[in-house]
Amino acid sequence: MLVSKNKATNSWLKSEKKSLLRFLTLYVAMVLFAIMLLSLYYYQSQEKLMLAEQRATLTKYAYIQTKRLKVLHHFFDERTEYPRDPRFRSAIYDLEYTKIFSLLENEDIRFDEEIYISEGYIHFVKSLDDFYLGTKYLIIEVEDSGAWRGEIWKNIIGYGLFGFFFFMLFGLYLAKLFLKPMRDSIVLLDRFIKDTTHELNTPLSAILANIEMMDKDVMVEKNRTKLSRINIAAKTVSILYQDLTYLTLEQEKDTHEEKINIKALIYDRAEYFTILGESKQLECSLDLEEASIIGDRRKLTRVIDNLISNAIKYNKRKGTVGIKLREGSLVIWDTGIGINEEKIPFMFDRYMRFNQSEGGFGLGLSIVKKILDDYHISIEVESEEGKGTRMILKW
Amino acid sequence: MVKKLSFSLVLLIMVFSQVQAKDAYERHCVGCHKELPTSLQRMFMHYLVVYSGEKNVKAGLKHYLKYPLKEISVMSDLFIDSYGIKKKTLLSDSQIDEVLDIYWNKFKVIDKLK
Repeated sequence: MLVSKNKATNSWLKSEKKSLLRFLTLYVAMVLFAIMLLSLYYYQSQEKLMLAEQRATLTKYAYIQTKRLKVLHHFFDERTEYPRDPRFRSAIYDLEYTKIFSLLENEDIRFDEEIYISEGYIHFVKSLDDFYLGTKYLIIEVEDSGAWRGEIWKNIIGYGLFGFFFFMLFGLYLAKLFLKPMRDSIVLLDRFIKDTTHELNTPLSAILANIEMMDKDVMVEKNRTKLSRINIAAKTVSILYQDLTYLTLEQEKDTHEEKINIKALIYDRAEYFTILGESKQLECSLDLEEASIIGDRRKLTRVIDNLISNAIKYNKRKGTVGIKLREGSLVIWDTGIGINEEKIPFMFDRYMRFNQSEGGFGLGLSIVKKILDDYHISIEVESEEGKGTRMILKW
Repeated sequence: MVKKLSFSLVLLIMVFSQVQAKDAYERHCVGCHKELPTSLQRMFMHYLVVYSGEKNVKAGLKHYLKYPLKEISVMSDLFIDSYGIKKKTLLSDSQIDEVLDIYWNKFKVIDKLK
């Protein structure tokens, strides 16, 4: 399937990048953990190998020292000099782990291990069957040169880095492979929405234009009501169309910043929504003072349209929609169903809808929030269930 | 007569003080063992090679003093056949412990090696 990539697709694919990043983070953590575990296992096995090599020598030393102890035992106490050897140091402990005599540099002895490394020394613990001089444990000590460690670290770092990069490339390939179906679906969906949106434009414009052109005065009352319903439905679809257009096309367009007279803009949009308000027999309360803002007209129109549209959509019959404009603030309020206080933090999330009785995709407020954030305009929501909602914008 | 009595009294005191000057080990052990060809030092080394630690050696010795048997003796068969098994001790537990403490301290290897 060959699907062309464009700017709109890029914005959709942000989620793909996010998924990829999450997968790779988890994958890197797992690979690092696996490499560390393998390195630890390798280190321990190499240490065991080195100690196994040392064991043969130390067993020989222990045998020699045992023979010397035997001699000393038989001549004790005419002879009291403990046998010494330049090749190793030794110590003797009795059955109760009491030190009889010691020449060790490191006195930290682990009686439960046969051979081990402690603070740079290798200890070999030999358990005797005949307790010459009372000796149950003979400890032979030699210095650990640590040369074997250098080789091990070199291998761990070398192979570890190689393994890490290999698994990273493999992970990247895997991630691309797994995400490809998702990517194709997103691209296809994106293209479908874009094409559908584009196809909606022509018939919708024709419907709205023809409704405006119709001479309502010559119509009978029944037909006028029907036309009004068609007008409301068309405008509702038009709002949805504009939201979709904004998401798929307009937000990628270059913005045209200008000084906007908000009072005039609100009058214009309020007039546009009059027919929707009338369908619910809503009262419109406008308290507008002169105010202006620097911004893109299309974007700010989307903000005002969405807020007024919501105030109408979620209002009660015969309720009120109010707009209060001051320099630096705009309040759009309604006497509608309101929203639960706990849900307010989530109401700007995309696809979030709290009322299934009204149509829509849950796109409007997420678009509003995005535009307001772009212009550093704060939005505050005051709402009480059953009483209404106030959306307060400050800049 | 008075002179004879005074002399006897002095002699008795001297003998008594001599007895008191010896420790429990010398009073209860050395007397019999000096007749044997193997010294108490050597016997100690025999115990050490079998029992190793202080507590173990003392426990082994105490058991043997109370229940002497050929089978549990640390001495060679030749020695046992020649000199036999000692008689069961008449000392109390506390007296045996006192004797063994002195015996251990006298012949122990710890602190004697150089």
